[in-house]
Amino acid sequence: MKIFIRLTAIAATTICLSMASYAQTPWDEVMMGKGEICTALIYEHSSWDQYWEGTYLRENANIGTFTRQTIMPMIAMGISKKINIIASLPYINTKASGGTQAGQSGIQDLSIAAKVDWLQKQVGKGKLLFLTNAHFSTPSSNYLSDYMPFSLGAGAPEIGLRGIGGYKMDNGIVFRAAAAYLWRGQTEVERDYYYENGSVYSTFMNVPNALNLHAAVGYWAFDNRLRMEATFMSLNCLTGDDIRSYNRPQPTNKMEVSQVGAWVQYFIKSDRGLGALAYFNQTVSGRNMGKATTFGIGLTYQFKAF
Amino acid sequence: MKNLNISYLYLTLILLTTGSCIEETPNYFEFEGYQFENLDAQGGSWKTILVTDPSLIDIPQPESTNSSLYQAELSALKQQMSGLSPTQTQAVKYWTNNPVLRWNEIALELAAKYNLIPGPNADGTYTLPNPANPVGPPAFPFAHPPYTSRMLAYLSVAQFDALVVTWHYKFQFNRPAPYLTDNTIKPAYASSQLPSYPSDGATVATVSKEILKLMFPLEANYLEDKYQEHIESLVHAGINVQSDIDAGNIIGSEVIKLAKQRASSDGMAKAQTPKNVSDSIANAAFERFGWKWENMETPKRPVGLTPLFGQVKMWNVPSVEEVRPGPPPAPGSKEFETNAAEIKKFAAHMTISQRRIANWWEDGIGSYTPPGHWNKFAKEAIVKAKLNPLRSARVFAYMNTAIMDAGVACWDAKYYYHYPRPIETISGFKTILGTPNFPAYTSGHSTFSAAGAEVLAHFFPADAAQFRAWAEEAAVSRLYGGIHYRFDAEVGITQGKNVGAYAVNRAKNDGAQ
Repeated sequence: MKIFIRLTAIAATTICLSMASYAQTPWDEVMMGKGEICTALIYEHSSWDQYWEGTYLRENANIGTFTRQTIMPMIAMGISKKINIIASLPYINTKASGGTQAGQSGIQDLSIAAKVDWLQKQVGKGKLLFLTNAHFSTPSSNYLSDYMPFSLGAGAPEIGLRGIGGYKMDNGIVFRAAAAYLWRGQTEVERDYYYENGSVYSTFMNVPNALNLHAAVGYWAFDNRLRMEATFMSLNCLTGDDIRSYNRPQPTNKMEVSQVGAWVQYFIKSDRGLGALAYFNQTVSGRNMGKATTFGIGLTYQFKAF
Repeated sequence: MKNLNISYLYLTLILLTTGSCIEETPNYFEFEGYQFENLDAQGGSWKTILVTDPSLIDIPQPESTNSSLYQAELSALKQQMSGLSPTQTQAVKYWTNNPVLRWNEIALELAAKYNLIPGPNADGTYTLPNPANPVGPPAFPFAHPPYTSRMLAYLSVAQFDALVVTWHYKFQFNRPAPYLTDNTIKPAYASSQLPSYPSDGATVATVSKEILKLMFPLEANYLEDKYQEHIESLVHAGINVQSDIDAGNIIGSEVIKLAKQRASSDGMAKAQTPKNVSDSIANAAFERFGWKWENMETPKRPVGLTPLFGQVKMWNVPSVEEVRPGPPPAPGSKEFETNAAEIKKFAAHMTISQRRIANWWEDGIGSYTPPGHWNKFAKEAIVKAKLNPLRSARVFAYMNTAIMDAGVACWDAKYYYHYPRPIETISGFKTILGTPNFPAYTSGHSTFSAAGAEVLAHFFPADAAQFRAWAEEAAVSRLYGGIHYRFDAEVGITQGKNVGAYAVNRAKNDGAQ
């Protein structure tokens, strides 16, 4: 069950709903064998009371504390020892403690990912690893993306390609780094004119492409039943405009975020059957995003199907 | 490994298919210069709004087309046309032969750029934009709907009057376009018998630049660049020589003096009141009716938006009291409760169609405002009808004066009745649109839209039903958005129609029919 359930960085989301779409993507070194299926159910709570308007960190009493809660079912499957498939579909609820604007709830984006193990080579006292992950996600309900920060997601299709490199030592210590390029499409909005550093006469907004980095130092203990990691994540949109003064965000914004966090996963009986996980992320820097604190808990269940 | 290749092949296919259906996101309305449906040779005799008599604005007698001076101008034009850079060619295509539309678009863009409400200071106070210190923060202006309605009214009136004067001289002097005198010149736009002296493009460029500089003082450099690009495009397109342009500039400069004079004394400077005046307006309403509107933001804004915009000088309506509606139902009354229950129901059971309508007509902070939305409709109708610049300016002038008058009338009602918003009267009410910083009754968007629709219905009778249906939809959108009761919207529609009728009557008698 040493699964890839690291969907989380959803955490970061807050203002930037689009974050959710990359989040479900695994970026760790773990693979399952052929016919193994892992199901998971994860609850995530993310909140912020400050956000970056461009690069200026501010408060807004008409938002107060912004909260985003996610329930995400996931399933992962080993097509073969070298190829695993993962799918997820989150349900999200957003609300603000201040102001008079209505929060939202509903199903966000369906994400499907394929993870491939390319290299496992003993080098010194550990194994050198290289994997790739490709994912596609698309909005799965008619939520409105152009209602930030309350909207459930960026409302645009996304394709991501990620390379994952790691070194797993025989004593259980793991070093890992992953880099992904995210191509994002357009989101349809409910107005035919908007301002993005000038007039735009369209019912579509371009959601900027982004670079997404992960790094972790981990340790597998108790015969590989306990996994602990210290994590770092960043996401940088490559183009986009800034939130204007005391204005609301929109999907065209150049969102940037860096987070540090921790991850714990426990497999009750080796790698089959029931497991549990918990994680925590703190946003440390950002742009056009909420400064979110996030935690998640989840249950996993793994079995051999074929 | 084979599976692997297949999966990546699929991925590439997805990438290609999603990549191929990217929608355009243009920065301006894409249309080509067109053949005008009519040249309006009598246009110089139409009634003007600011100018008392076109012949009082004097321009020099033009040189005849066979004079050596004119021939030299033609040579200069041909030389410039022969060496256009791609940027210059693009500028010619962009400006078209109806630049009234482009200047209107520039005005809308600046409205959207400056339609940002100042946020609170660290100590919970608010600083208002100050024309004496436009840099701010906050920057001047806050181009809210009343501000934008007035900006567009002055822009369109100045364009219209200046073009009437231009037409007056065009058909007095009858100097043909350069390409009609010299057939080696190939114009960028459809060939036209419209006399080219004085240049209508230059007239429009001058008045538009100057009005917009007055309204958006921080944009002076940007506007100067646009002006230069536009002026150069007139020669590059082969439609004007330099003396056409010089004469157009003279007319523009004279009309601007009249526009600035009116703008400096129309009462706008007093529209945003200090707190004591605002409080006394609220208390007067409370004594009269037993209720008053309050801002619900945190920290609370001490003064609503432009409490005295209702006293700004109107264009077509003799006095604002003529179009003031009767009172709304008292909060707590049976009629009120029915209206409140209706919007609570919308909020609790919002359909996708209602949500779309609410957002489509939001025209809120950061947008070109409801008046901007109607200017976009007018622009599209003008292109569809292939109107010449004079007739285009006439549509905009009557529509935008009607829309500003609607704003004045609506603001008069808003602060006379000082009626509370749904978020105040309905406990715990949450909305999908932001509630604005001014009283509810009557609905601004409803009033602006009905006035705009009436004027457009008059000028484009074939589409009259469509314009009126849009106004109705704009009105009801405020109920879906949770920021207005039905009586705000319905009375707003009636008020807007009444105001619009004054502009239509004036248009019927201006000699252009």
